[in-house]
Amino acid sequence: MEKQVAIVGYAQTGYGSYVDASREILVLEAAAGALRSAGISREVLDTVVTATNDYMDGRTISNMRLVEPSGAWFKDESKVEMDGAYAVLYAMMRILSGDHDVAMVIGASQASVYPTYIPGVMMLDPTFDRERWLLNEVSAGALQARAYMDAYGATEEQIAGISVKNLRNAAGNPLAVRRMPVLTVDDVMDSRMLYSPIRELNAFPPSDGACSVILASSEKAEQITDNPVWIHGVGFSHDSYLTERPLDKLGSLKQAADRAYAAAGISDAKDQVDVAEVHENFSHEELMAYEALGFCGEGRGSALLESGATKMNGELPVNPSGGALAANAACAAGLARIAEAALQVRGEAGSHQVKGVKTALAHGQTGLCAQENIVFILGGE
Amino acid sequence: MEPGGLKNVDTVEIPAVPVFSWSVGNFMEKFFDGLKDGKLMGIKCPKCGRVYLPPRMICERCFTENEEWVELPLEGTVESFTIAHVKVGDDGELEDLETPETIGMVKHKGADTCIVARIEGLDPADAGVGMRVTVVIDKSAENILDVLSHYVPC
Amino acid sequence: MQDVAVIGVGLSKHVSKRRDVNIAELVYEAVSAAYDDAGVSPRDMDAVITGNMPAFEGVNMPELWGAGHWGAYGKPLLRITTGGTTGGSVVHGAFYAVASGMFDTVIAISFEKQSDGDTTMGLNSVGIADFAAILHFGTDPEFLVSAGGGAIGIVAYQATSYMKSSGCTTHHYDKVAAMCRSNAARNPYAHLKQPDITPEDVAKTDMMEYPLRFGHCCPATDGACAMIITSADKAKKMTGRPAYIKSCASCSDEAAIIGIFGGGPAHLDPCSQEGCKKAAEKAYKLAGIKEPRKEIDVAEPYAPFANQLLMFYERLFLCDEGEAPAVLDSGSMEIDGELPVCPSGGVISTNAIGASAMERIAECALQIMGKAGEHQVNKDVHNAVAHGWGGALNLNVVAVLGDTPRR
Repeated sequence: MEKQVAIVGYAQTGYGSYVDASREILVLEAAAGALRSAGISREVLDTVVTATNDYMDGRTISNMRLVEPSGAWFKDESKVEMDGAYAVLYAMMRILSGDHDVAMVIGASQASVYPTYIPGVMMLDPTFDRERWLLNEVSAGALQARAYMDAYGATEEQIAGISVKNLRNAAGNPLAVRRMPVLTVDDVMDSRMLYSPIRELNAFPPSDGACSVILASSEKAEQITDNPVWIHGVGFSHDSYLTERPLDKLGSLKQAADRAYAAAGISDAKDQVDVAEVHENFSHEELMAYEALGFCGEGRGSALLESGATKMNGELPVNPSGGALAANAACAAGLARIAEAALQVRGEAGSHQVKGVKTALAHGQTGLCAQENIVFILGGE
Repeated sequence: MEPGGLKNVDTVEIPAVPVFSWSVGNFMEKFFDGLKDGKLMGIKCPKCGRVYLPPRMICERCFTENEEWVELPLEGTVESFTIAHVKVGDDGELEDLETPETIGMVKHKGADTCIVARIEGLDPADAGVGMRVTVVIDKSAENILDVLSHYVPC
Repeated sequence: MQDVAVIGVGLSKHVSKRRDVNIAELVYEAVSAAYDDAGVSPRDMDAVITGNMPAFEGVNMPELWGAGHWGAYGKPLLRITTGGTTGGSVVHGAFYAVASGMFDTVIAISFEKQSDGDTTMGLNSVGIADFAAILHFGTDPEFLVSAGGGAIGIVAYQATSYMKSSGCTTHHYDKVAAMCRSNAARNPYAHLKQPDITPEDVAKTDMMEYPLRFGHCCPATDGACAMIITSADKAKKMTGRPAYIKSCASCSDEAAIIGIFGGGPAHLDPCSQEGCKKAAEKAYKLAGIKEPRKEIDVAEPYAPFANQLLMFYERLFLCDEGEAPAVLDSGSMEIDGELPVCPSGGVISTNAIGASAMERIAECALQIMGKAGEHQVNKDVHNAVAHGWGGALNLNVVAVLGDTPRR
């Protein structure tokens, strides 16, 4: 896909627990930040796509109160109820239709104001699993981790290695919640056990925060910035409910990646992608993502990690920002991967910048055990 | 950066809880009826032969209406498991369990999908993938969802 | 960019309680009917676009367990939810999915199974944060109750405000309700069918909140709607008379503060609905409609309450402001009139909330394709306008359909 839609601005709030803020303030901060970053005013926007979740918002129609802070007043506005990465997809469709030129995308949630693990329980089959109260985001993730370990021989220590890599990387990301420059595998193994093999430091930190990205058509992008980040390809897919599919691999991520690679003309991901921002809610999911994204062969995720290839200074750094293990505001976590990938392409990532990034991959997920996945390929001039 | 820099003056709790009553549909109804007779009823896709347990009206692979009911053996194999040290509490947060418990994902022979339930009667340290377990059916359970009670090692 | 067309429409049975099926199974009825209507199968779908109002049924993203019943296995899937406008927003999503050139053929699915949930709580939760805060800061609860909760509380203000500005009477609301319910009697998928109802019958129903009587209000419905949407090029090969989606536009106004007379800063007059006018203007412009009054042959405004049919008829520029009651009296809005309004029976007869705004578009498509059966209007339909409304009075979606593509 040749230079049709570009990212021309982005912003993230810091992530953390902001009980004194409101959802509207978080969204306003991200939206205003993105407009500043693009150097444009609200009037330039044709359309706004938000990504929020009614259960995480605590009220029906979570977008209706975001009209003002998102910059959507008297604009063509809509809401994707998935991760914000899907809102980028929808905004991109709107621009490609020719009916819109400039789009604001925002994903946000505030874990400190909703019962953290209830929205995940509400994703379950209401005719059986839901009211049995055994499954939730973390216990489902644990079943996935165990299935993967059993299939490919990965160990808990190897999985802890992902937490160590990412949370150390996060020390260079001023927006992250968990910034742990001296974290060790032993520290991860000593953290609070939740559902084996998942310990606290293997699991995402529920966070408050918002992320925004501004997209523009090629013509408008060239007017707005000298440094557009082009979307070269996107792919997404939906997998079966968690008890009806093999949990030891990320099937819909592989489908998503294959579609994105085909659009972007990528035949050898490990060779052609310079940096990847992966939406890993749990550390084992990053190993599984390496395989689904074709960075290594099936079952070779741990070996790839141990080779050092995915470290900050490796040949294919993954999650220089610290990823979703370092900060995770639902609906913003995958969108933040896109913003971080764009930062890397533009060389604006500061102390977590990877050198010489031309092509970046960003991934987002929705649902239990990464049921739905989306992959973007971004690049500069 | 502290978002906003504005401080809320107060926190307001929402004082109401919604009530839901989900229809399970005729297919799940038959599954629950089977359980009350001590039977585990799955359903088979007439096209690809995939067997759904719990049953589904539609085979997602073929987009065909499932029709052939099959009684499945009470024994199954643990496809995956976790030892729960926490549970989701009433406030929606993870609270510690006094005694850890084993939760298994079990596939019955002849079925292509899994059931998630507790595995009891074993030391959690002895739990493993591939383990053979039998379903325990509690016909006297008050809540229909508890009739399929748990699994025990064979 | 490519032109976009509808080639199939499917609806489930719409009734107040479907306890024989679960959510996924109810939706399957509409989805399989849409595939059959278009003569396609899930194999022909490049993507699935879906949505409902999750707070109603208490299931978060129900497609996560249910979409296998809809042919979504292994497909790209996008969930769009915007409240009362959801069904319209889902079709807009499907329109852009095809118009962008990213996909050729997609299925759009929307639904609500209100009997599984807590609809009053669902509706109140639109304003519950406001209610909770107002109570918390010491407002007398009796004042709040008198200010009205749920959707009817807000709409009553809209209805009285409209009476003042247009000079219409409650008799007009009775007429609207009787017209819609008798149209619904011709539609096998409508919920409340009252073939012989008269305005006088409506006037005898219980008063809910002045000026709205029970007979002026929509029911709570279990139902689903699905549409097969494809590129104009493919549509021409697949069906003799596709309905083209010429344009989609939405407009979001400031949110009203629900509970305080349905008014916020932008809603000093809750029936102004500037957002509807802006969305309609843009949709007509994109569709090349210069004189909607002459060029639009059928209108499906989103009117869960009788007064809203008249108000939105005006806001869609189908007559001057304040003139809709006279147009109603002229008989032009009847199913055999000059510009039939809600030949489907409208939202006032059938309201599976998440699906309702899609069903407006589906009805326009059926009318253009000539497949509306007993509720087919008595004239050639070249262009039709469909509308959706919701949020905190602040969200409007408009789509223009026609028998020719945009270009």
